[in-house]
Amino acid sequence: MIMADIDVKLLPETLDPVQEHAAFLACFGHLGAVTAFTGVVRAAAKDVIVDYLYLDWYPGMTEASMHAIAETAAERFEIAALVIRHRCAKVKAGQPVVFVAAASSHRRAAFEAVDYMMDRLKSEAALWKREVGPDIDHWIEPTGKDAEDLQRWSKP
Amino acid sequence: MIDALFFGRVAEALGQRRTQIDVPAEGLSLLSLRARLFIGDDDSKVLMSVNQVIQSGDQALHDGDEVAFFSVFSGG
Repeated sequence: MIMADIDVKLLPETLDPVQEHAAFLACFGHLGAVTAFTGVVRAAAKDVIVDYLYLDWYPGMTEASMHAIAETAAERFEIAALVIRHRCAKVKAGQPVVFVAAASSHRRAAFEAVDYMMDRLKSEAALWKREVGPDIDHWIEPTGKDAEDLQRWSKP
Repeated sequence: MIDALFFGRVAEALGQRRTQIDVPAEGLSLLSLRARLFIGDDDSKVLMSVNQVIQSGDQALHDGDEVAFFSVFSGG
């Protein structure tokens, strides 16, 4: 089995998805297929204004949980290179909170690996997310939709 | 000495993120530490880890262990 190139970082201060994408493309674009996803903090949740998210993290364990997700994705979809960048601490509305990319010689595998990693990150990354705005201040619990999204990958 | 860490909703409920506890001569188990820290036994949403590995049952703790209590993950 060929070892995939996996690069995971937890970023407490800033995340620049354009720069991350350019760097990843420069390293692995020669493979033929590069897909990427950026998640941005929504300015409103169910019509309620959100000022920022606060993501609590467990140094060491959080990175390990994300690395384990990337390793499984690499093996399952035969991906040559994967990157995960995740913000922690305070992330304002409109700012990127997560960036995931995959490089492969086949586009479908790269698309699926990114989709799979995002579904697993939502439920299994060791992060605790608090939503704060003028009228809200609460911890976010995983939803039924998150469980449903995760379930997609256990179907034969 | 055991290092006990708290994250997410659990840290907020306890009003602290970290405390250190001496292991008594008679020993200390994970669930007895949890009870000692006043983390409700009935709250199945509180998860536990020992040395950064999630644990669901009871086990003996040892000097130098890092134990964490936290709410369910909501990452991504």
